[in-house]
Amino acid sequence: MGFQEYMPGFRPVVLGIAALALAGCATFSEDGGMNTVSALTTERTGQSIQLAKPGHDTELAEKNVHQLLGKPLTPDTAVQIALLNNKGLQASFAELGIVEADLVAAGWMRNPGFSFGRMRTGNDVEIDRSIMFDLLGLLTIPIRSGIEQRRFEQAKLQAASQAVRLAADTRKAYFNAVAAQQTVQYMGQVGTAAEASAELARRMAQVGNFSKLDQAREQAFYADATAQIARARHNATAAREQLSRLMGVWGDKTAFQLPDRLPDLPKAPDTINDAESQAMQQRLDIQMARRGAESTAQALGLSKASRFINVLDVGYASKSETGAPRGNGYEIALELPIFDWSGAKVAKAEAIYMQSVHRTADIAIRARSEVRESWSAYRTAYDLARHYRDEVVPLRKKISDEMLLRYNGMLASVFELLADARTQIGSVNAAIETQRDYWLAETDLQAAINGSGSGGSSSTQMRTPASGEAAQEH
Amino acid sequence: MVSRRDFFTGAAAMVGAGLVSRVGAASLPEAPMMDKAATQPPLAPPNGRPYNPVVTLNGWSLPWRMNNGVKEFHLVAEPVVREIAPGMKANLWGYNGQSPGPTIEVVEGDRVRIFVTNKLPEHTSVHWHGQRLPNGMDGVTGLTQPFIPSGKTFVYEFVAKRPGTFMYHPHGDEMVQMAMGMMGFWVTHPKDPGFMKVDRDFVFLLNNFDIEPGSYTPKIATMLEFNLFGFNSRVFPGIDPMVVRQNDRVRIRIGNLTMTNHPIHLHGHEFQVTGTDGGWTNPASRWPEVTTDVAVGQMRAVEFDATDLGDWAFHCHKSHHTMNAMGHGVPTMIGVDHRGVVEKINKLVPDYMVMGERGMGDMVQMEMPIPDNTLPMMGGQGPFGSVEMGGMFTVLKVRKDQKRGDYADPGWYKHPAGTVAYEWKGATPAPARNRSPGGKLMEPTKKPANVELNVRNPSGHDSHH
Ligand SMILES: [Cu+2]
Repeated sequence: MGFQEYMPGFRPVVLGIAALALAGCATFSEDGGMNTVSALTTERTGQSIQLAKPGHDTELAEKNVHQLLGKPLTPDTAVQIALLNNKGLQASFAELGIVEADLVAAGWMRNPGFSFGRMRTGNDVEIDRSIMFDLLGLLTIPIRSGIEQRRFEQAKLQAASQAVRLAADTRKAYFNAVAAQQTVQYMGQVGTAAEASAELARRMAQVGNFSKLDQAREQAFYADATAQIARARHNATAAREQLSRLMGVWGDKTAFQLPDRLPDLPKAPDTINDAESQAMQQRLDIQMARRGAESTAQALGLSKASRFINVLDVGYASKSETGAPRGNGYEIALELPIFDWSGAKVAKAEAIYMQSVHRTADIAIRARSEVRESWSAYRTAYDLARHYRDEVVPLRKKISDEMLLRYNGMLASVFELLADARTQIGSVNAAIETQRDYWLAETDLQAAINGSGSGGSSSTQMRTPASGEAAQEH
Repeated sequence: MVSRRDFFTGAAAMVGAGLVSRVGAASLPEAPMMDKAATQPPLAPPNGRPYNPVVTLNGWSLPWRMNNGVKEFHLVAEPVVREIAPGMKANLWGYNGQSPGPTIEVVEGDRVRIFVTNKLPEHTSVHWHGQRLPNGMDGVTGLTQPFIPSGKTFVYEFVAKRPGTFMYHPHGDEMVQMAMGMMGFWVTHPKDPGFMKVDRDFVFLLNNFDIEPGSYTPKIATMLEFNLFGFNSRVFPGIDPMVVRQNDRVRIRIGNLTMTNHPIHLHGHEFQVTGTDGGWTNPASRWPEVTTDVAVGQMRAVEFDATDLGDWAFHCHKSHHTMNAMGHGVPTMIGVDHRGVVEKINKLVPDYMVMGERGMGDMVQMEMPIPDNTLPMMGGQGPFGSVEMGGMFTVLKVRKDQKRGDYADPGWYKHPAGTVAYEWKGATPAPARNRSPGGKLMEPTKKPANVELNVRNPSGHDSHH
């Protein structure tokens, strides 16, 4: 539908009251809803957001991104860049504008229309002139405005939810990228150990001290290690590209630097009291569901009160997925009270209302469960990472030290020493994985409390970190 | 090597046991204990029939008590901590504070009563290896006697009928108890002290242990892969020398309680085997030897005149038995060029050093840290450098001025001028080599590829790391 200028000069008496009732709310807001979205996002991610409007602000945002990319990224700067630069997020901010435009338009009456028809049958010419006036539109202005207002509120929550989700995804991609890069470095060391073994074996065979069998075994280790290095390198590239996509960078900007190491584990794990009730307050999907239920309640009230206005097919409860446009809308039908079917309509409205109430309850129950699960994942990941750091890696180191003593005493061979070095490196790598998993779990926990959760439970399942020889295939 | 001071601590080292309550066993003789692993001076008999006492290498002889003409000994079977060599101790089982237990010396015809107190965590018994005795005194649990339960004392009594060289060891859970070091020497001296009299009479048992580097307790289930071979639960360089005076008549009695035979070899002198488990050999049947194989469960007495001055090696001739713990799965690195590889390994293992490229002697030279409670595979500093030995190795020291009955270490032999091997300083023309492949009995049906092995010069070791 096209929106045109409101024409104050055309004021039929019948509709005057309805038109007057609308006069106050039919204007665009200063910020297009962005302030609310930004506040919601900042509260949850510590980062503000901006809408890239055509013409202005783009230069400043570019400059910001450029500056942030100049230094090795931190989880926060990566998130900041994504919030400034991710085109998908900007698209969802644009959606906000569309919805607000709908809201403004809902407060306006449609222009009267004029039609002219000319039909000729044989020698008869029939000229049909008419002036059309959108009576229904005028009658439903208050209802439409109310609905659009709530849609606008929903859209703001939706945009914030998307921003928070993007922040979480970016943090996770960041940790994955740093860890994958570290893995490449350690796999390189495994490769060096295997290469030294293979080379030594070759020379031993050359002077007659090693059989072809023994030499082939050492060479096989090296060949495996080479394959693993190739995989690790690709994994690092893939992880980095995922981060690039989320940060919305391309061209020169993909040359961003990552630090050599993951951030250290915090000294103690966070203690979060009443995480579940916090989630009930904070989670954006719950807020959206609650608003949706409220809207349905109002529609139900309207249906009951008027009995002639059908506002049932409201799409508030519609699901939205990142990247896909939201299916959201409504339909209003005004009926003439010749036959009284309104009892059935009220019953349907009630059912729809109950549906939205249950849906809200369902979301809340899932959210609570998700919080408990991500809390467990978080604590386990922390304990595991600390266990690897404080127990597994030092023990492996001790084993390597003892192996060296045995090598010194000619109780063990250089090949055993090198095989042990490979295993030790594998355990360091496994420790890095647990450290990465901690940061991923920490992000998921925050998302479960503040955002809209991470979705399925598969994301929080504990991986078995690769340790030792058969190690590094993620 | 044992110092002069260590040697004379014998009397002080022997301490009263107090292990057996005097109230509960008023008639039990005292069980003397030993807390030193050094060779103790011979025990001159204070009473009873006279005899010429033996010297137990890195051991001691058990004092007795005369009780109405019966020689009473008291052995206490118990867990002990034995110093295998300075720098390594082992959790063993033994008798009266040491493994092996003290040597028991008696005289032909003596009536002997031996109290055996079991302080082990499990039952035991003592078998008097080689003795003629009543069947019920033979010490085989189940067969000739009930086992001695933990905490109980049993009494063995018999007449030492046959003079000669004997051993004692458990005959109940024997495999475990012998692997843990339960054994001792027994000498029955002839009634006539002048019979086959010698000036010095050394005794010791051969034994083997499998003690994992870095650990303390032998692995009792080992059958072949022992890593420590010793004389009286000591390994070189922790073994005392056998010190004699020039022209002394010397007897060395060896008992084998290991799992394999040991060709025992003496440098610089020939000897004759004068005694076996069965008694003294017929002089007409003796022939000269420099090595005698002592099979499992056997005893040999060898005799010779120590005519030649010097420090003479005395050892088992199985070369692995003159090594301490070593890795049997270690590949041979001789002749392998390590250039370029070392740097790579050092990146991962910074303290790694190349060894074995020229042989294993490197290992002795480098003196790198090795696991706790582990002896180097070989070592022992002699006057000219490392002896590069371990295990069953000691030195016979023949000295002109050694006093009669003096077993103290006189230090290294001072060689007269011109009697030590020396470096040739003249020209060294290339040796003429025989290139002929040698004879063959039959033609192979399938010709192998022509492999040519050339004499290889050792690589320039010092040039690249
Ligand atoms: Cu041997």
